[in-house]
Amino acid sequence: MLGWVRDIANRRELVWILIERNLKIRYKSSFLGFFWSLLSPLFLIFIYSLFLGVLKFPIHLPTLVTGIIAWQFLAMCMGDSLYSIVGNANLVTKAAFPRMILPLSMVGANALNFLFSFVVLSVYLVFAGASFGGAGWLPLIMLTQAALCLGMAMIVGSANVFFRDTEHVMSVIMLAWFFLSPVIYEPEMIMEGFPRWVQVAFYLNPMSGILTAYRAALLTPPAVDGGLVAMSFGVAWAVFGAGLLVFRAAEPRFGDEL
Amino acid sequence: MSGPESSGPAIVVERMGKRFRLQRSGTRTIKSAMLDLMRNRGAGKNAFWALQDMNFVVNRGETLGIVGANGAGKSTLLSLLAGTKVPTTGSIRTTGTISSLLELGAGFHPDLTGRENVFLAGAIMGLSRRQMRERFDAIVDFAGMRDFIDQPVKHYSSGMYVRLGFSVAVEVDPDILLIDEVLAVGDENFQKKCLQKIDAFRRAGKTMLIISHDLSTIQSISDRILFLDQGRIEGIGDPREVIGRYRALARSRQTGGYEREWGTGEARIEGVTFEDESGRETDLFESGGTVRCRIRYRAERRIEEPVFGFGLSDANARLIFGSNMQIEGFRLPAIEGEGEVVLDLGGLPVAAGHYLFSFSLHSSDHRTNYHRLDHCFAITVTSDSRFEGVCRIPCAWSAPGPA
Repeated sequence: MLGWVRDIANRRELVWILIERNLKIRYKSSFLGFFWSLLSPLFLIFIYSLFLGVLKFPIHLPTLVTGIIAWQFLAMCMGDSLYSIVGNANLVTKAAFPRMILPLSMVGANALNFLFSFVVLSVYLVFAGASFGGAGWLPLIMLTQAALCLGMAMIVGSANVFFRDTEHVMSVIMLAWFFLSPVIYEPEMIMEGFPRWVQVAFYLNPMSGILTAYRAALLTPPAVDGGLVAMSFGVAWAVFGAGLLVFRAAEPRFGDEL
Repeated sequence: MSGPESSGPAIVVERMGKRFRLQRSGTRTIKSAMLDLMRNRGAGKNAFWALQDMNFVVNRGETLGIVGANGAGKSTLLSLLAGTKVPTTGSIRTTGTISSLLELGAGFHPDLTGRENVFLAGAIMGLSRRQMRERFDAIVDFAGMRDFIDQPVKHYSSGMYVRLGFSVAVEVDPDILLIDEVLAVGDENFQKKCLQKIDAFRRAGKTMLIISHDLSTIQSISDRILFLDQGRIEGIGDPREVIGRYRALARSRQTGGYEREWGTGEARIEGVTFEDESGRETDLFESGGTVRCRIRYRAERRIEEPVFGFGLSDANARLIFGSNMQIEGFRLPAIEGEGEVVLDLGGLPVAAGHYLFSFSLHSSDHRTNYHRLDHCFAITVTSDSRFEGVCRIPCAWSAPGPA
């Protein structure tokens, strides 16, 4: 385990270059290039503000866009994770380097993108009069979400090497996961009247805790059950651990399968 | 590069084997995996050994050429050494940095420029940006692509791709360089540059492993040759000798159409080995040299006065010379069980090329053929002298003075 961390630390140049490459390719031959990572959250906030006014959906705009922007980090990682190994088959079959670097740099690129969106979001939230009361928790929340993303990416990326229908399974799972997570609603809106164990089960979804934590840190939320959020975080890190184990088991066979 | 540590081997391969799982068709899906499980076909049945029983050492500064037919396992061996595949059994130990020229430029991303790809390739091989910046000019100059380096590589021709890939791989200055069939790409001019670079690497004491189908080139640039056949080491050693054996085998495979085995089977020729003057087993001979054939037989019942015969044909199975014990006046009273007879050819008066031996075992009245192996054994003959035709007839020229 420690040897692994050291291997990757030794190759941090490669991690950076791959992050750079991922971002460059994303914005290659687009006129505005990197500005899109600032523009898309801006448009997102604008469009939701229009529709929320029309639809009278019972959620505050700051709560909604916070949820959506944080969710997008996961959604982008999941979409890219399918191809983090398969899409780099030429590198995997050509050179020896710690394969972990592939999902890691993919999540890294998306994390940078997310940070830009987050800056835009924060500017908006300042105008919307948010409290930023728990901003000190943000690094832990983001790190936990990144760990979740990386854990999932390692599982999904490995699975796609061996089973190419992972893609279809993924799209179904992501749709269900979206509605099971409090992205476009708040837990309190639906939890009323349910027994305690349903609430616990709801927070076994790591995204429940992560989204709730973002809102708690930035906005003035209803009272948050710290125990449940902590459990959610625990699940996120457990997914990370599981991802490491799966990846480690699958890694030696990548070269044969690709 | 002649520090005190440069004496040890660069690569040690011990009892190494690589097994692949066979996929029957296309990509695996969850459905096919489930079907496999239900049909109870584990890894065992669909697996095959691409490499088995690999034991060899490559010394520092040595150039090892690897030859073998397609599918013999050459490329698999290089990817195992490069670390992109993992051995199923045994171990591979390498000392020093490795750079591989397997599929040149394959790691390039089409949307990135040549410059960006060079830095990416460098990072993959473990160099820092600073180290790459120092080498960048040399790389671009060697590839001869200064004008195109800031273009996306998708606009490059395949030749440019390969040139840039080769330049990166050699300029990262690895201790061990793995080269897979790149001598055959690029134009003549670039090939010459590649060979010069390979030669410079040799002189700098680098270790190289080279796969090539260009046998004469590989023979001239290698210190030793490793001959792979069907996943096993068929021979390793002196380039001339091993390449000769490879040629002989390739030839015998090619003339497989001429091979024929027949007979009643009451007595069988179990095997034939060939020895040169020094008694060494080989199938590579000098023109004019002697050949000793050891013919092992096995007779199921006692056979009185059997006759062994042989024939030597050219690669197209045209008989050059044939004879047997009766013709040569040797009488073997009887055979029973296992035994050996020896045939000595006093000298092979044939031109350089590939030849096929036939052996037969029949009754003294020629009515019963117990066992015949027609064109089943290939040998290769080398020659320093050039003459026309198949066979050398001793000749001498003179010019008697004017009468």
